This record gives sequence, structure tokens and C-alpha cells, in this order.
Amino acid sequence: MNRRIRQLAAGIIACYVVLFVALNYWQVGRKPELDARFDNTRQVFREFNRPRGPIVTADGVVAAVSFPTAPGETYDYRREYPTGDLLADVTGYFTFAFGSTQVERLYGDVLTGTTTAQQVRGLGDLLGGNVETTGTVELAVRKDAQQMAKFLLAGRTGSVTVIEPKTGAIRAMYSNPTYDPNTFVNADFDVAEGIITDLQNAEGSPLLAQAYQERYMPGSTFKVITTGIALESGLVNLDTAFPDEREWVPPQTTDPIQNYNGSLCGGDLATVFARSCNIPFAKIATLLGPEAMVRGTEAWGIGEELPIDLPRPAASTFGNTDNLDQELPLLAIRGFGQSEVQMVPLHMAMVAGTVANGGRMMKPYAVQATYDQAGRVLDRTSPEVWKTPISPATAEIERQLMIGVAERGTASCCIALEGGIPVAAKTGTAQLGVASNPGLSHAWIIAFAPADNPQYAVSVVLTNAQSTADVAVTGGRLAGPIAKGMLDFLLTGAGSQPLTPTAPGGGG
Amino acid sequence: MSDLDVSAVQPVVVDSPLARSRRTTELTLVVMAALITGAAYTITALGTNAEIPPGIIVFVAILLGLLLCAHVVVRLVARGADGTLLPLAALLHGIGFVMITRLDDKLAGLQATWSLVAIGAFVATLLIVQRATDLARYSWLFFFGGAFLLLLPLAPGLGVNINGARIWVSLGPINFQPGEFAKIALAIFFASYLADRRELIAASTWRVGPLHLPEPRYIAPIIMAWGFAVVVMVFQKDLGSSLLFFTLFVVMMWVATERLSYLLIGFVLFALAAYFSWTQFGHVQTRVDIWLDPWADPLNKGYQIIQSLYGLADGGLTGTGLGRGNPGQVPEAQNDFIFSSIGEEWGLIGATGVLMAFILIVGAGLRTALRTDRTFEKLLAVGLTTIVGIQGFIIIGGVIKVVPLTGITLPFVSYGGSSLVANYILLALLIRLSDASARRLGELPDDPTPSERWKAWRLSRSMRRAERREAA
Repeated sequence: MNRRIRQLAAGIIACYVVLFVALNYWQVGRKPELDARFDNTRQVFREFNRPRGPIVTADGVVAAVSFPTAPGETYDYRREYPTGDLLADVTGYFTFAFGSTQVERLYGDVLTGTTTAQQVRGLGDLLGGNVETTGTVELAVRKDAQQMAKFLLAGRTGSVTVIEPKTGAIRAMYSNPTYDPNTFVNADFDVAEGIITDLQNAEGSPLLAQAYQERYMPGSTFKVITTGIALESGLVNLDTAFPDEREWVPPQTTDPIQNYNGSLCGGDLATVFARSCNIPFAKIATLLGPEAMVRGTEAWGIGEELPIDLPRPAASTFGNTDNLDQELPLLAIRGFGQSEVQMVPLHMAMVAGTVANGGRMMKPYAVQATYDQAGRVLDRTSPEVWKTPISPATAEIERQLMIGVAERGTASCCIALEGGIPVAAKTGTAQLGVASNPGLSHAWIIAFAPADNPQYAVSVVLTNAQSTADVAVTGGRLAGPIAKGMLDFLLTGAGSQPLTPTAPGGGG
Repeated sequence: MSDLDVSAVQPVVVDSPLARSRRTTELTLVVMAALITGAAYTITALGTNAEIPPGIIVFVAILLGLLLCAHVVVRLVARGADGTLLPLAALLHGIGFVMITRLDDKLAGLQATWSLVAIGAFVATLLIVQRATDLARYSWLFFFGGAFLLLLPLAPGLGVNINGARIWVSLGPINFQPGEFAKIALAIFFASYLADRRELIAASTWRVGPLHLPEPRYIAPIIMAWGFAVVVMVFQKDLGSSLLFFTLFVVMMWVATERLSYLLIGFVLFALAAYFSWTQFGHVQTRVDIWLDPWADPLNKGYQIIQSLYGLADGGLTGTGLGRGNPGQVPEAQNDFIFSSIGEEWGLIGATGVLMAFILIVGAGLRTALRTDRTFEKLLAVGLTTIVGIQGFIIIGGVIKVVPLTGITLPFVSYGGSSLVANYILLALLIRLSDASARRLGELPDDPTPSERWKAWRLSRSMRRAERREAA
């Protein structure tokens, strides 16, 4: 019998060897594949049950925070957003079943304390009795500025973006429609799914941060770029004179181009820039030619995703550039920001910032610092130049041109700041050319102040604004007061002015 | 009568270096098992709550106290036994307890109570079964007892369906799985039956066509065993236990008769029964389908096994860390799927440790079977060891998709009172067999058991009285 018993021993050991091999197969061999399967919620579940640090604004307000739940709840923590919808575009949301967005997504490892630096420091703290290793993310964005932006937008669709021209720090970035993450992040799966699906299908993409994830036809604000390219190339200077014209027929067509409202418009560069005539810039684009215009717009970062520290930024576009030398009328129209040109609102703030910052376009950032569990700095964002599209000399000329817009041009109605602080601006009214509704436009303004020592650059866009018989949509009249309100608030702390248009006039 | 050695009657413990070193080994290993369990308990609590459990000292003290109690009893009544069996069981039990605590605090309290009962059963078994050969005397009692226990859940009013299997009996406030005890009783019966008749069964004097079979009257119990396995599979819907019973009988037949044909015939018969139930019963088909492709129905039938595999993959080589995984995502993690919880949090390394512990228990059990020269003890050691080894294989193989998943417990590790108590009884019997073999090999003096001393004392007393009467 002993032989049989030895064989039995060998048989059972063989069984366990099979188990050992199978264990290796699952735990080592197929680990990467199983970990990556879409229905494998282990990683996200672990993430979800980890303590998660807060997100705070530059002015010290908590924008996202986790609280431990009562024992027995499905998850160990609930995430709350005390600022409601004010900072949703920046913080994003953090959910178990529907992923996460914005800072919650990109800085998840800092918030849960899983960066290498935090782990190493946490090891030391563990010996000292502190085992929490969460991190804190400090935004560059200010909660009070967000609040002001929301107030000034007053429910209209559009976005307000404020950056610091010298650093690229984003101080405000609010768009409407937006959403309140509290409505679904802690909800049951079915409820959350319903709310998220509704938000995804809602008009105006509330789940997107339109300020940096959408792009719109820029209208005349684009003339800052066209003028910059022309000044850099030497095609024009402050002395260049443009004849008074009502319309101009570009090459390769018989259809004339008109100024805004078909008005008669001309003069030196400062005058046509301040009055925002279209024909001079159509001529400039045509004279520069397709190649120089495309190269020039690329120098401004058009065609590239914005280098922001948030996920999935949009890229501005100059439109389809194939065979543009056969489409000179299109090139001419794009010269003043119509047709296929589309700009990201944040990018337009950066364009204003470039003029304000001597021609250097800074990388925009929404997070200015990260801290570990003990409040020690992990990382502080250092300003970086992204593009240098224009020389300091060109920037100085454009600064003067934009001051002219604010003082006596299309923005003069509505941008004059409290306390006489000098300001520079450019307006835009992008006519969407909807045949059934010619009054539908995007109303733009970009501005910076103080004009002699720029602290803030702002871009405001009111999308799909509707002209009425009484009041025509113009960038100056609609977007101007919002830019003024933001700059006043940030520079002097003044409350907002009444939102009614204060003076007639202005134009595209 | 006068030449009776009266000195044997005196409770003189003769020193044996070998027995002493085995007990020292056992004591050291038991303390280590307790310390490992205590450390794992602490780390798991740190991992889940980031705090050292407040009752850790009390926990380790009670654990150590229980194990030392078991150890002392072994030292007193089975001091020649293998020194690794108790520590290995204690280690598996401890790991299981830590995982159960981590999964469900409420179950942990119950499991702690059951641990107490199980150690009590271990001690009681060692005290009651003082000679392994005593068991053989009651073999038919064990047969009928085992059969009764096995069929008990089918009794209306007593049996309860839990998770589709009718293997539970509900008596007032207590639920238990009689099958866990039936397997031990039937192993004892078979060891005894085969020890008496193995030559007759092996002789195969009955010719049926080309086959040489044993006489029908000798083979009848085997057929009955097959019948039991079928009953368990068909009526109780308990595939795992059915497979376990059948493997047990076939292996014991094979070892006893030394004829390969029994192994083959046994498995052919089982295959037939399995195929029949696969064609007839939906739940069997489901189990097989899930085994072949759990991803065919990932949110429903395949959910449990898929979550188990995800957990194992998430653990990887070194595990997520004690208390840092999410083993609760696998339904029934504390019962059948406790092994995948261990694989998730302790990693391949920890899971391999559990496999090693089972191999070592099997090794110790079969070494006992090899060392003893009594057929009954050999076969009983084989049977008991096979139960532990195969049960571990069936359920571990089930949760890592090596064999179809069948709901049975992982011995010593899973949550469950019946399982824990039954396995500690089984362990006590193995230790008793191991001790008996050591005595038979002369490794320690075969001093009489307390009950033998008691009988001898009464005998000598009656003799003295008789002498006195004669003298008077």
C-alpha cells in the first residue's frame, strides 16, 4: 500500500502545482490585461475609497472636499463641492462610475497622496504617527472672481476668462451653462446616470468648460492677430493709410466685402483698428497671402491644443487651409475673423495677454501649487513662455492700437474703468451668417488693464446673442461691460456696475 | 494473575527525547502562527482604518491561550504526534480569521465563537479517541451515522436551501452542514471496511465478460458510496461535496486494493454521473458554462468568478497590502471565495503560502499513513488527508478557474462553524494516528492511556479484593 500512498502524495502535490501555475497565470501573466478591462472597477474603487484632499482656490476658498461617510455606506468618503457650480469648469467632478474630469482627474494622484514624493514623505510621517497622505491642490483661479463673472454673465450663455499676462495664471474662467457637481457625484448609480446623460445632451454642453474646451468665430477680435502678422512682416506700420471705402472686391470673385453695417470706413492704421473697419484687414490678409497668414497664425498658437494644465483643451483654428491660394476671398474674410476662423475664449485672453506682455504668450495654468498632507509645497507652477508671435516693438504698437479702441473706438462706450485706470481693448461681433436669423452673433471683447502696466487680460464672449430691432448685438456694447466689471473688480475691488448698456454706438 | 505488571498501572511518564523535541517544535511553531496572525491582524487594521486595533493585546492573548490549550492537550495525550499539523492548521485558521474580520466584523464575532468550539472539539476528540483502533470497532455505527448526516438535509422541515444547495440543517437557532461531519464518519467506515476486506475485494473472482470484479457482496458498499455521491449531487445540488465524497472513496479503494482499475472504474462512474447531471440539471450546466467562459454573462452568472479573477490580478505578485484591497467586491468572499481575498491582499506570495500549508498538511498526513503498519490506520490517515487536500484543491481550483466552481469551504480558512469544527476533529484524528504510529515504531514508550490506566486500576483493585477475600 505504501507505493500507492506515495503515488497519492505525488498526485495531490501535482494538483497543487497546477493551482500554483494557474495562480501565476492570473496574478502575473494576465494581470495587465485583466487590470485594463473596462468592467474591472478595482482601481477606481480603490481610488474612490482613499481619503482625498481638498481643492482650494487662490483666495483660500474650499472648492472640493471629502468627508468620511457613516459606517456601512457603499463608499468610505463623499465628495462635496461647497462652491456649487462656480468652479465646476476648473475642479471638474469625481465620481465612481462616470470617471472624473479637470483638476479632479489630472491631479488625482496628488489629492490621494499617491505621487512618489508624497509616498516617500508619508513613510516618514507614518513613523511619527500620521498615516494620512492626502494632498491639496491650490488653484490659480479665485472664487470671488468666478462669482463676479457669474454675476456679470447674468445667465447669458458665454464665458469669461481672466489671466495674468505676465505669468499665465488663470484668475477667472467661468462659462454658462455649467453644472453643479453636487447634484450627482454622491448619488446612486441610476440617479447619477440620468443627471449626467441629461447634462451631456443639454444644449450648450454644460459639462464642458467652454472657456477652454470650445471654440467660436472670433469676429474682429481676430484683427489683433492679423495686425500683428502684418506689423511683423513690415507690410504695414502706424503711418499706413487706408482709403475710405464702403465695399471692396477681393481677387477671384465679384462679390464685394463690406464693412460692418455697410458703413464707410478708412484712415490710418490706428483709425481703422479703432473703428474696426473690415476692408483694410481683408486687404492685409490678401496682400500677405495664404502662406504668410497661415505661418503667422501658427506663430500665435492657432492649430495647437492650448497648453493648459487641464485635460482635453480645444485648439483654435484658422479653418481649412488647403488650396487657400485659390480661395483668396475666403482668406480676405478670415483676415477679420469671420468664416472658418474659430478661437478658444481662453486663447483670446492669451492674445490680449501677449500684447500686454511685450509679445510673449505665457502658458496658461489653473493650478498654482500643490501641497502634501503636512502643508509642505510639492510643486509650484513656474510661468513659462509658450509662444513669442510678435516682437516687443510690435506689441507696443498693438498696445497703442488697443488703447485707441478703448478710448475712442468700438469699446469706448463701455470699458472705461473706475478711477480712470487706462485700459486697452478690442471688440468683435462675429456674425454667424445664419440665413434665417441674420441677427445671431457672438459678441466678443478682449482687454487688458492697466494699459501702462498690465495686470489682467480678459476675454469675454457671449455666444449666440440675438439682435433685436432696437438693440443690435455688438461686442462693445454686450461684452464690454462684463470686461469692465471684471477689471474693475480685480483692480479696485469695486462692485459691478448696472448691466444696462450705458451708451449707444460701437460696432463690430 | 499474580504476574500482572502492576508498575504499568502507575501513571509514570517515561521521558522520550523524540517526543519532547516534537512538542518543542509544535510549541515554537504554534507561537509563531499566533504571532503571524496577530501581526496580520494589526497590519490589516492599519490598512483599513489607519489605526492599531485597540484590542490587539487581548486578541493575541486569547488566540495564544486557545492554541496553547490545544498544544498542552496534545502534549498530555498524544505527545509522539507530528509537531507540524497543529501549527499549520492554526496558521490557516489565523489567516482565515484575519480575512473574515476584514470582510465583515459581525461574522468575525461568530467565527471567534466557532473557533472556541472548534478547539474544544479538537481537545474532546483527542481525549475521547485515545486509541485510533477504537474507531474501527464502531465502523458500522459510523457508516449509518455518516449516511444519516448526509441525508439529513433532505428531511422535510429540517433541511434548508441556501444559495440553491440543500446542504444545511436548521435546528432551532443553530444552522449546520452535517455533510462536513459525514465525510469524516464515512472515511472512518471505509478505512475499517477496506482494512478487513481488501484482499477479498482485490481478488476479483467474479467475472463479468472480460472484467474481473469483486464479489457483489463485497463491492456493494462501494456502489452505495457512489449512490451517496449521486444523491448529494442530484438532490442536494452540492457538486463540490459530491466530488469530494467520490474522490475520497475511490482513492481509499485504490490505495487499499492497490489496483489501478478501481481508480479508473471509479472515475468512469463519476464521469457518467456527472455527464448525466450535466444533461439533466440546469445548475450543473450553469456551473460548467461559467467555468468555460465567465465573460459570457459578466454581470450575472459569471460575476462572482470574474470579480475573483480581477481581485487576484489586482493583487499581483505582492498583493494590494493587508486591508488595502477590495475583496468585498467578490460576493461570498468570506466563504468559498476567501482564497481569492487572500490572493488579492497578500498577493501571489501569500496565496502560495496557503498552498504550501495545505501541501505540508497533506505531507504530514500521508507520512503518518506510511509510518504506521496497521491497515486501518493507514487507510484512515489516507482518507482524512485526502479530504483536506482534495477539498482545498476543489475550492481553490474553483475560484481561480482551474475546475468548475463548486461551493465548498476551504478547510480551516473559510467562515463557517460546521466546517471549522469538523476540520479540527479531523485534525485531532490525524494527530491521534500520528501519535499511534510513533508509539508503534518505538519512538516513545507506548504507555497506557488514561482510560486503560483506569481499567487496569479497577482490575488490580478487584484482584486485590479477591486476594484479600481469599486470604480471609
